[in-house]
Amino acid sequence: MYSIEIKNLTKKFNDKVAVNEMNLQIKKGELFALLGTNGAGKTTTIKMLSGLILPTSGEIIIENMNMKKDVYKIKEILNISPQETAVAPNLTVKENLEFMAGVYQIKDKENKINELIKLFKLNDVLNKKAKTLSGGWQRKVSIAISLINDPKILFLDEPTLGLDVIARKELWKVINELKGKITIILTTHYMEEAESLSDRIGIMNNGHLIDVGTSEYFIKKTKSKNFEDAFVSIVTGGEL
Amino acid sequence: MRMLNFAKRNFKELIRDPLSLVFEIVLPIFLLFIFQQFNIPAENFKLENFTPSIILFGFSFITLFTATLVAKDRTSSFLIRLGTSPMKSSDYILGYILSLLIVVLIQNILFFLTAIIMGLKFSISIIPTILVSMVISIFFISLGILIGSLVSEKGTGGLGSIIVQLVCFTSGMYFPKDSIGSIFAIICKMLPFEACLNIIQGTLHNNFTNLTLTHIIVFIIYFIVIILLSIILFKKRMISDNK
Repeated sequence: MYSIEIKNLTKKFNDKVAVNEMNLQIKKGELFALLGTNGAGKTTTIKMLSGLILPTSGEIIIENMNMKKDVYKIKEILNISPQETAVAPNLTVKENLEFMAGVYQIKDKENKINELIKLFKLNDVLNKKAKTLSGGWQRKVSIAISLINDPKILFLDEPTLGLDVIARKELWKVINELKGKITIILTTHYMEEAESLSDRIGIMNNGHLIDVGTSEYFIKKTKSKNFEDAFVSIVTGGEL
Repeated sequence: MRMLNFAKRNFKELIRDPLSLVFEIVLPIFLLFIFQQFNIPAENFKLENFTPSIILFGFSFITLFTATLVAKDRTSSFLIRLGTSPMKSSDYILGYILSLLIVVLIQNILFFLTAIIMGLKFSISIIPTILVSMVISIFFISLGILIGSLVSEKGTGGLGSIIVQLVCFTSGMYFPKDSIGSIFAIICKMLPFEACLNIIQGTLHNNFTNLTLTHIIVFIIYFIVIILLSIILFKKRMISDNK
């Protein structure tokens, strides 16, 4: 049973092809990492899958619903933590959580908020305005917010970018706890992050999804010493 | 309702911005107070005429800060997050308008309270004046949404300042337009600000002799066009910003 099915997905911006004829299936509860160099098409793919932008052609099926017909129903069951921290700056952490609970019309919002406060250890910053928090805390709050609606599908666009090593490891722990429960699509530039967290990895380059597999599969395929070398070899066609 | 939830958030963002409070409320009240101290022998500066002028002046800052809020939201990842939620365009637009209408109501009450303390005779017509000015404020809020959809947060300062200046010079709040010349008087008539002031003043005085058919037509045209443009452009930019 697939959580996400992508058929011939293409996105063009004028003459530039950002995503080209992508085909992919992601299983329920799978953590799928999407890797690629800058401009490979990862964020555009995530924006199409989360209903932010329309594809030029192709089909997206999420939990058996078609993105073209059921976009608002699909939006109820997914959430995103965007590349940049996405919080309301003049609202406190608690107010941010309450606001997003209102956006998704969560019935038992107090319980859900308390659950997230506990999971992300937000007690110390609960009454602080989001704009006064450090980048690491803002990122943590941003990811906590993305779980407010118990999404079936969660998009994490470079979730640990700019975090220190402790904050990154803490976040990995949270992501590991979510694994298997929800389908997660993760984009990252950190190879060790993709290797450590994901069930499968997709490598994109110039809008094409080149290959999909586990880190071991890529290492074996390219006869590399480690996954980073395997990634470089695949993206450069073995030139580096 | 998602719209009310969004309006609540916008209202908090606005009232927690000290600059927004200073320009939307403190500065107009200060001007109302200070101009009365000069005892200027002109009709424009009589309390019953100048209070509606101050209401309109306050609206120009509503435009400026609406534009800033929309542009800030648009260019941050915050709207990306909301864009993936089940919120619809109508939730955004009505959420912005409703939150600003509460600010407008607070403005009006404080302006009239200050004016009454300074000697404006209390009249029942203050209530319809507040209601009418709230309707007029929807034009200024929509203008802010339009500017915020068109330019970046930095750009809103410049365009917003132009609106503030246009309100000051073309509404007739500081001087009778005819004292500058006939071409300027025509320009004033073609812009919506003189009409706005005449409507608010007319409602307060319960006397609409200064309000012409041209004023009403000009205001209705601007009102409809700006609201429609703000909705169309906001929706368009919500998509194009995420390309």
